[in-house]
Amino acid sequence: MQQYTHPFYRTLMFLACVSMAASFAVIMLGVVAREAHWDIQGLDAYAGYAVAAALFLALPETLRHGDHIRVTLILQRLSQRVKNGFEYGCLVVAVALSAYFAWFACRLVWVSYTTHDVSPSADATALWIPQLAMALGCIGLCVSFVEALVSRMHGVDFFPENSEQAHVE
Amino acid sequence: MGIFITLFLIILLFAVLGSGMWIGLSLLGVAILAMEIFTSRPVGDSMVLTIWGSTSSWTLTALPLFLWMGEILFRSKLSEDMFKGLAPWLNRLPGRLLHVNVIGCTIFAAVSGSSAATCATIGKITLPELKKRGYPDDIAIGTLAGAGTLGLLIPPSIIMIVYGVAANVSIAKLFIAGVIPGLMLAALFMGYIIVWALFNKDKVPAADEGMSFMKKLHESRHLIPVVSLIALVLGSIYSGLATATEAAALGVGGSLVLAKIEGSLNWEKFKDGIVAACRVYCMIGLILAGAAFLTLAMGFIGLPRQMAEFIGALNLSPFGLILLLTGFFIVLGCFLDGISMVVLTMTVLLPTVQAAGLDLIWFGIFIVLVVEMAQITPPVGFNLFVIQGLTKREITYIARTALPLFFLMLAAVLATYFFQDIVLWLPRQMT
Repeated sequence: MQQYTHPFYRTLMFLACVSMAASFAVIMLGVVAREAHWDIQGLDAYAGYAVAAALFLALPETLRHGDHIRVTLILQRLSQRVKNGFEYGCLVVAVALSAYFAWFACRLVWVSYTTHDVSPSADATALWIPQLAMALGCIGLCVSFVEALVSRMHGVDFFPENSEQAHVE
Repeated sequence: MGIFITLFLIILLFAVLGSGMWIGLSLLGVAILAMEIFTSRPVGDSMVLTIWGSTSSWTLTALPLFLWMGEILFRSKLSEDMFKGLAPWLNRLPGRLLHVNVIGCTIFAAVSGSSAATCATIGKITLPELKKRGYPDDIAIGTLAGAGTLGLLIPPSIIMIVYGVAANVSIAKLFIAGVIPGLMLAALFMGYIIVWALFNKDKVPAADEGMSFMKKLHESRHLIPVVSLIALVLGSIYSGLATATEAAALGVGGSLVLAKIEGSLNWEKFKDGIVAACRVYCMIGLILAGAAFLTLAMGFIGLPRQMAEFIGALNLSPFGLILLLTGFFIVLGCFLDGISMVVLTMTVLLPTVQAAGLDLIWFGIFIVLVVEMAQITPPVGFNLFVIQGLTKREITYIARTALPLFFLMLAAVLATYFFQDIVLWLPRQMT
């Protein structure tokens, strides 16, 4: 399973990085354009799409690194058997939730596409295009949770024991 | 009936969070359940629309960019330079180089939006340097843990962006409101070091070799990069040249240029920086996405309104309410991270705060201060985790060393309540 999923996560992560760089480029272009009095429509909206894409596309790889935070305080104090039960429970619920999210994200893309929904601001982008990134990322998240659940059943830990501490907050 | 639904949902939320569910998904799950049970609206569709709307908004774009800027600077030589520039000036002050922790964090906080990034960037250089010179571990670690939290209060600030988006308050105003409380807190920390040093003269190692004034001034050239970066980011916001988002982009550009000039930027580091920024933003973004939908669901059910009526019926004075909230946040801060605390408060407590007649800018700074305290309370405190990573010491030991600074922050909270102008005077000058 890994040999297919991990390249998939990494590809999504690569696209997320590109989106992050793109949001930077778009905002800088906006600053330059305003100072030089060029009139470029809808840059704000593009920056928003790029940032949203960066967020959703990075979901699976972030999960694999164990960066998504959770409260493990109570879990750590339970006996190994009970803890194991909770871990399974969390993964099963997470698979269900991420599948639910992914399903409706895809539906949103489909609805936007069929109803020709365009952005209300100056860019007038067909909304299904940027929303595609959200759908893709959510599918990735669901796949990674399924993989985590399957790995746990086989007794392999999906999450690294000690990943580098992210500099949150 | 209303109050039972409220209680049920709050207990459910804490049960789900406590079970070890990922925080973002917990918020999402509780919101879905609440809407399915208590309303007849189409849940899934309103969920994705809300999440799409909130995650693709222009205001939020400042957040990932400030995170990215922090990651670039973390990988640069900026903190080494700051140590070289600051150290010669501090030899005469009681406590000597311990002040580098506080001043370094204060300066770095003005280019970084995150407390953990500030703590990690300054700590990776000050902790080894202080140890080498023989400063006691506990005071070096404690002051770093406390001063690192200034990353949140001194603009730019990730937490303020999250709060500003949730409470619909101007982010630029929040940023400027944090300046005086931030400097006040830094002064309190330095005062603590001075007092500690006067009582523990034997524990402070001898001063480094003295330098002539001109030599010191010459050493200060190392501070030029960080000062120009501060001028670029904060200057562009306050002069009205750029919005918070644009300032963040300028900051990313500036840090890339700075890292390039000092020769610490190569392709490998650039890649590491952007990947790390994506991961951190993704982690925060999932929580924000869950919170956005939870806010909507709670609004449909009317929970925040009921909460406001319930607390209103208690007839608390504003001071009583603030005391209650401070206590509540300190407890909550032991278990939750700051961003989750802010978004949960905003989903449930915003009408309560408004009904009590508290200024939303002031309340934003209040929240940031209590979140700062949460950063150094065990078992969950991000600064503790960062320093644990740096020193390999026990969390409880680090928390104990930071305890005096925790009380100083508590004093700062009270001071900003009794003298609200500490917070509100500067933003008033802006309009």
